[in-house]
Amino acid sequence: MRKYLTVFQISWQNEFVYRLNFVLLRLRNVIRLLMTYFLWQGVFLTNQTVFGYNQSQITTYIFLVLAVQALVLSAPSSDNIGSEIGSGDLSNYLVKPLGYLKYWFTRDVASKLLNLLFAVFEVAILFFLFRPVITFPASPLAVIAFLVSAILAMILYYFLSVSARFVAFWTPENTWGLAFVIIVIMETLGGSIFPLDVLPQPVYQLLQLTPFPYLIYLPIAIFSEKIVGLELVWILLQSSLWVIIMYLLTKFIWKKGLVVYQASGR
Amino acid sequence: MAVIDVKHLSRFYQVHQKEPGLGGSIRSLFHRKYYDVKAVNDVSFEIGEGELVGFIGPNGAGKTTTLKTLSGLLYPTKGEVSVLGYTPWKRQPEFQKQFALVMGQKNQLWWDLPAIESFILNKEIYEVPKMQYEQTLEELSALLEVKDLLKIQVRKLSLGERMKMELIAALIHSPKVLFLDEPTIGLDVVAQKKMRDFIRSYNLKYKSTIILTSHYMDDVKELCKRIIIIDKGKKLFDGQLEEIVRKYADHKLLSVVLEKELDRRHVEGLTKLGGVKEYNYPKLILQVPRENSNKVASRLLQSYPVADLNIEESQLEDIIREVFTGKDVA
Repeated sequence: MRKYLTVFQISWQNEFVYRLNFVLLRLRNVIRLLMTYFLWQGVFLTNQTVFGYNQSQITTYIFLVLAVQALVLSAPSSDNIGSEIGSGDLSNYLVKPLGYLKYWFTRDVASKLLNLLFAVFEVAILFFLFRPVITFPASPLAVIAFLVSAILAMILYYFLSVSARFVAFWTPENTWGLAFVIIVIMETLGGSIFPLDVLPQPVYQLLQLTPFPYLIYLPIAIFSEKIVGLELVWILLQSSLWVIIMYLLTKFIWKKGLVVYQASGR
Repeated sequence: MAVIDVKHLSRFYQVHQKEPGLGGSIRSLFHRKYYDVKAVNDVSFEIGEGELVGFIGPNGAGKTTTLKTLSGLLYPTKGEVSVLGYTPWKRQPEFQKQFALVMGQKNQLWWDLPAIESFILNKEIYEVPKMQYEQTLEELSALLEVKDLLKIQVRKLSLGERMKMELIAALIHSPKVLFLDEPTIGLDVVAQKKMRDFIRSYNLKYKSTIILTSHYMDDVKELCKRIIIIDKGKKLFDGQLEEIVRKYADHKLLSVVLEKELDRRHVEGLTKLGGVKEYNYPKLILQVPRENSNKVASRLLQSYPVADLNIEESQLEDIIREVFTGKDVA
């Protein structure tokens, strides 16, 4: 356990070295939020409700996406694992008594906590600047359920993205293209651009069969109290089930991958 | 019992061949011709505790592949390997805590942080007790003369300094078995010598078992009593360095410093004595069959203007080259 605590510490130290990088990354998130915000502002100039959402609900959604994304999507693991396998840098970890999956999960958590701190800060500033009307949940239970679903989403995203990166074991040359496609798919189908229930009903139903809505859309729906009672329990259970499935799948691919791993580079 | 025991190890790679040019690239998208590369082909050897063995061979001979298999990075295609009684590719933590792999062209240090941070991380990863960590760090940084560099960002260090830090990072858990893959590559002559001195004293002091690969024959000559030569995945020689010198160096070199330039008669006479390897006044180097060396030397002293004369063994490089170019290998 202590070794992963040290990994956590060194991750933060490393993030602090790239001060400019970090600030720019945060700036990108803010700009993205503002773009989406003003886009919807425009839409609501002529409409009272869009796809069953009123202005305050959409604004709430956009602000929550910023916070949930910081916790769920941003992950240094997904930027590094593919290239570490391709270049053979993975060897550095494999010779040590260290779990590679645990190592990158720790580094992700470190980076997410740091990002989350800033996300909260940014949301507070933006909130103060624009004074948007945001709907807060009436029951504290919704907040707790939201936190649980967001943490499950974070773990789910980790296994989803890591298992996708493991493709590098078989095609060490071209992981970047695939990685990009996967990120875009996960972000969009996860609900980071728009709430998923604006989609046509059949598409929305189909998406429910994939793990993606559990990443962003459903945690926010829980926060907005769209999902309550028995359905809430059901959603949290399904989310946990996806985590287990993806964990087993990730482990399986990892084991298979190590057999074909070529430890390239000298 | 042998610390490292390798029996009939083979490792084949499947690679695809791409025709040159863009056309070839496009064709390779649809149709790839695969073939097996036999990186290591039926190699066996045993290494005992405290031995320092040199692993030599040209690029692509299979040295690194062997080391990677011994480290548990690669699964063998065939054969058995045991290191400290463990099967490396099972990657048991008890095994991993007892060995280290240093690759001269790969680094494990955190590039943007001072080296000391990487050492602290390794201390935790290998679960080294605090006292032992501090003592080891003290000893190693003193031996390698890098004490005042520990708190400097790794990216700001020179290659030689970085290599020393890499060594400390790899040795912080006091491994019993050490695989050094080209530890002196890219280093200048002074740094190479420092590195060699360090490896030698480390081997003596900690009785660690070391396999060393290097392209620099000086590394091997100075450090290793025993060498294993492999080429094209096959083991060509395994034995004492002296033995290979005796076996393959059937010539000695007579290195002469002359008092004055030779006249024609002398020059003609030389060819009867042996092969002239170099004549560049005042320096003359003759290659003579081993058994004749004394006789030729006395002739030279009698009838030539010799200021100084030395009988030397052939260069190790030359001997190894002969082994590779297919002289009969027993």
